Amino acid sequence: MLRPTIFLARARAAAIVAMGLSACAPYPQRINEAPIMMNGDRVVAADAGQVAPTVAADQLAMQATMDSVRAAATAGCAPETCDLIARGEVGLGMSEVQVYAATHSLPSAWVVRRSGGGAVMVPATRSAPTDRLGEMVMVQLDGPRTAVISRRGPQGILVASRPQDAGAAAMAKQAAAQLVREGDDLVMANDPDGALNRYDRASVLDPEASDVQFKAARLLDLQMRPQEALMRYQRFLLSMDIERIKAHGEANAKMAEAIALAQQRIVILEKQVK
Amino acid sequence: MMRLKSLLTLAVAGVALSACGIKRVSRVDPESVTDLSGRWNDTDSRLVANELIGQSLGATWAREWSAANGGTAPTLIVGEFRNRTLEHIAVGTFVRDLERAFITSGSVRVVASSDERTEVRAERVDQQTNATAETRARVAREQGARFLLQGDVQAIEDSEGREKIVFYQIDATLIDLESNAKIWVGQHKIKKYIQRRRLTP
Repeated sequence: MLRPTIFLARARAAAIVAMGLSACAPYPQRINEAPIMMNGDRVVAADAGQVAPTVAADQLAMQATMDSVRAAATAGCAPETCDLIARGEVGLGMSEVQVYAATHSLPSAWVVRRSGGGAVMVPATRSAPTDRLGEMVMVQLDGPRTAVISRRGPQGILVASRPQDAGAAAMAKQAAAQLVREGDDLVMANDPDGALNRYDRASVLDPEASDVQFKAARLLDLQMRPQEALMRYQRFLLSMDIERIKAHGEANAKMAEAIALAQQRIVILEKQVK
Repeated sequence: MMRLKSLLTLAVAGVALSACGIKRVSRVDPESVTDLSGRWNDTDSRLVANELIGQSLGATWAREWSAANGGTAPTLIVGEFRNRTLEHIAVGTFVRDLERAFITSGSVRVVASSDERTEVRAERVDQQTNATAETRARVAREQGARFLLQGDVQAIEDSEGREKIVFYQIDATLIDLESNAKIWVGQHKIKKYIQRRRLTP
C-alpha cells in the first residue's frame, strides 16, 4: 500500500521553516529599561543629624511661646482659674490665652474664628489639644470668656455650658447619661446583655442615677433572672428618696409609678426566690 | 630523569591550580553598591532607610503634635516590621537606621520596644534588691509612647528563562495608639532586573 504523498510549494515550505525557526529562537528580551544604579555606584547613608539644629531651634521657639502663654495666662488670674490651669483643665470663664495654658498647647494648634463679640476655637490639625478631661473639640467664647466647652469622650461629644457641667464629676454624669442612652438603643436592638453592660458602667460613673438601677432591674426581670432583678429593684428603692418623690407630686409621677412597680415586683420575686 | 621531569611538572601544575582557589578578602566602602546574586542586600536596606528617613523627617505630624503639646516631642515605639516575602530579609538593619535618625534629629523621642523592655525591666527589678537606694532606678516611671511604628516588606517576582524581575515594596505606618488613626505612611519601592548570561567572561 502506498502512503499519500504531500506536495509542498517552495514558498509554503519556506514559510513553515521560518515559523519553526522563529519558535525555536531564543526568548526575546523584553526589558529595555536603562539601569538607575550599577555595581560600583555609591549610596550615601542619610544623616539625620543635619536637621537636628533646625528641630532643636524649632522646639526651643515653641517652648518659649508656651512659657509666654503661661505667664500671660496666670498673670492676675482668679484663684480657681489658676487652680484649673495648674491642673490642666479648661473651665468656663477662662480667657483665650488661659485655654492655651490649660491645654498646654500653642496658639498655632488652634484655629480661632471671630464673629461679633465672640469667637470659636477649634483644633487646627488632627493632633487636637487635650486637657485633663479629654480631647478638645471646640471652645466657644462669649466676649473674652469661655462659654461652651466641647470635648470628645468615649461615647461621643460632651458639652459643658454651665459651671455644674464643667468639672470632672459633671463629665462623668454626662458620660453615664450617654451610656444609658446606648443601653436603651441596645434594648431596642434586642441585645439585653450589651444593654446591661452599659447600665452597669453608667451606674459606676454616676451612682446617684437611680433610673439606671430600675432599667437594669426590669431587664433582668424580663430575662427571668429573679434573684438579680430582686437585688436591682431593692437598690433602686434604696437609692430613691421616696419622701422627696412624694413631695414633688405630679412632676415625678412617672418615677412614682416606677417605685410602685418595683415594690410590687420585689414582693413577687421574693416569693419566687424563696 | 624523565620521571623527575614529570614530577616537577605535576608539582608546578598543582601549585598553579591551588593558587586559583585562594580565598581573597578585602574591605570595601559600606556605601558602595555591590550586587552579586540579585537578592535583597545592604544597598536595598540603605536605600529604604534613606527614603523612609527623608519621608518621616519631612512629614508635618511631629511638629503638629508638638504644637498641640507645648513644644514637647512626640514619643514613639518601634513595633514589628514583618517580612512577607519568601526571601530572608534582615528588616532590623533599616529599622535601626530609622530609629537612629529619629533620635539624632530630636524630632521624636523613641522608647524601648517590647523585646527590649523585658531585659530592662528585669534589670530594674534586680536593682530594687541589689543596688543602693540612691543609685537604683525607680519602678513605674516608664514613659508611655503615643505612636507605634509598624511596617512590612512585600515582594513580587516574575521570571522567564534566564531573566527575572523582583519588586520589593516596603511600607511603614505610624499609628496613634489612642485613636488607631494612621498618622503617617512611608513607602519605598525597589525593582530589580536580574539576567543570567549563558557564558560568563
